[in-house]
Amino acid sequence: MNPRTRRILELVLDNLVWFMLLFVLIIFSLFVPNYFQLGIFANIIEASSVLGVMSIGLALVIITGHMDLSVESVAALSAMTVGILFCSAGIGLGIVLSPEWLMVPVSLLAAIAVGGLVGTINGVLVVKLNMSAFIITLASYIWVRGLVLAVSGGRSAQDLAPAIRWFGIQRFLGLPLTAWIAITCFVVFSFILAKTPFGRHLVMIGGNQTATFRAGIRVNRNLILAFVMAGAIAGLAGWLLAIRTSGATANLGVGLLFNAFAAVVIGGVSLKGGVGSLPGVYAGVLLLSSINTAINLMGLPPTFTQVIHGLLVLAAVLLDTLKQAIRQKLA
Amino acid sequence: MTEALLDLQDIRKNYGAIEALKGVTFSIGMGEVVALLGDNGAGKSTLVKIISGGLEPTSGRILFEGKPFLARSPAEAKAAGIETVYQDLSLCTNVDVVANFFMGREITRKVLGIPVLDERAMEREVAKALADAGTRIPSLRANVEHLSGGQRQAIELNRFVHWGGKLVLLDEPFAALGVEQTRRGLDMIRQVAAQGIGVIIITHIMQQAFQVADRIVVIRQGVVAGDVPTSKTSPDAVIGMITGETLAGTGSAG
Ligand SMILES: Nc1ncnc2c1ncn2[C@@H]1O[C@H](COP(=O)(O)OP(=O)(O)O)[C@@H](O)[C@H]1O
Ligand SMILES: [Mg+2]
Repeated sequence: MNPRTRRILELVLDNLVWFMLLFVLIIFSLFVPNYFQLGIFANIIEASSVLGVMSIGLALVIITGHMDLSVESVAALSAMTVGILFCSAGIGLGIVLSPEWLMVPVSLLAAIAVGGLVGTINGVLVVKLNMSAFIITLASYIWVRGLVLAVSGGRSAQDLAPAIRWFGIQRFLGLPLTAWIAITCFVVFSFILAKTPFGRHLVMIGGNQTATFRAGIRVNRNLILAFVMAGAIAGLAGWLLAIRTSGATANLGVGLLFNAFAAVVIGGVSLKGGVGSLPGVYAGVLLLSSINTAINLMGLPPTFTQVIHGLLVLAAVLLDTLKQAIRQKLA
Repeated sequence: MTEALLDLQDIRKNYGAIEALKGVTFSIGMGEVVALLGDNGAGKSTLVKIISGGLEPTSGRILFEGKPFLARSPAEAKAAGIETVYQDLSLCTNVDVVANFFMGREITRKVLGIPVLDERAMEREVAKALADAGTRIPSLRANVEHLSGGQRQAIELNRFVHWGGKLVLLDEPFAALGVEQTRRGLDMIRQVAAQGIGVIIITHIMQQAFQVADRIVVIRQGVVAGDVPTSKTSPDAVIGMITGETLAGTGSAG
């Protein structure tokens, strides 16, 4: 094989998910009536903000070779916190700050702090007790959701303060600000992962933890930070979720974990750790969202979505294996 | 002899019930090359890990540059100037050659106060270091998983030469290298020692030890079974020490 074909092949392999996204969009545009519209594409991006943000944190932890199953429950807890503080109906306390815009940073900080706190607990337990992240975060997935149920008593908060909801309504270039927040997160964290020593260390820890420890990298500190970030980012996702639903219910966001998981795997992040990039994950999120939109437009029952998502995860894992086999041949 | 660079005094290490080291005592001076020999399981790797901060000794005293020293992590050992090439390679195969070379010591430049990887500067330095050492690697941007065992070992060797420090520990560094690369590796060790850096090299190949070392220290079953200048012993005598057939330290003068 000459170097040029090889380089092209590697380029395709590295960005496979983007080609898949393009392929799916073209197919849908051709065959699904009314799919090819600017509004639809804006809708796809808009609908993927919460999932997108959550996937960033999950991807970071998986890239270090660990796992965080708690992100969905954490987002729900953050959303519920914002709901209880700043909703005026249901279980909302309806706290009003003046000036009103002050509620934006305060609610945002509360959501991120709640997430960061759970992330810290996860990280410290996993790293200091040297326990399986899968088990620790599975426990968090359960107890954090339990906390949401407990503090809400199973009831919901409605009518989020208009100053906060403004982010879901105000548009810039056809997209609501919430979508821009998600896009900004992807840009910022892609940069951190690819261009800073911290990000480079996370990737290398995922590749060979012993080697990074021997090289003098502070592995434990970096790993705990990754969990804290995943929690904080899930908190931000919860804040966006509260805005989207203008409040919070006890079972808010149920099922998001599996979608985030699917997006991350489809996006090319290897579950073995050390491999993956956040732009790929964003493409994975958009791919899922495109498919959902197509299912809606075709008038299929939404139950199909789950079947298709499941098959997609399966396909993604198979694809990952196939990619590795091809790479071995290339080497 | 001037003050020792590293002085090990009665180092012991137990893994549970296994006594891997039962009181090891020897020292190494600046610019000196010591070959550490011994059978499989003698405790050589354990000793290296203790010096390099990967393991804590059960008991014993270490002096480094005359001062009590105990590295609680590889980071501390590195900060003190101790570089290590481990027996099982310490590369991250999921990133490229440049990233591995600078693992944990990346060159950065500040952009708006944030440290950002300076890939160009790093690539330049790696290219220079490899060229100086005569190591040829097709692409510095290729992930290490695509490289051969020999190329990987060459990267590790070049890495320690580049970073220098005060003491270098090499645990069977040539296991995956060909004849020519091994010769170059031995040259590198002499060059490094000529700069005043102490070198402890573990090897199984007697010929290499005699080619490169000033002194030979033999470990048998967790204790020093021989500590002789290379010029005053012979391969046969050393083999005797390793297997325990001759008395400690008595080689036939050669
Ligand atoms: N992590 C460990 N746990 C238990 N025993 C170990 C461990 N590492 C080494 N040992 C034992 O300690 C002894 C010395 O091992 P090692 O230092 O690797 O020897 P060498 O490098 O000389 O071959 C051996 O008996 C080995 O089985
Ligand atoms: Mg060994």
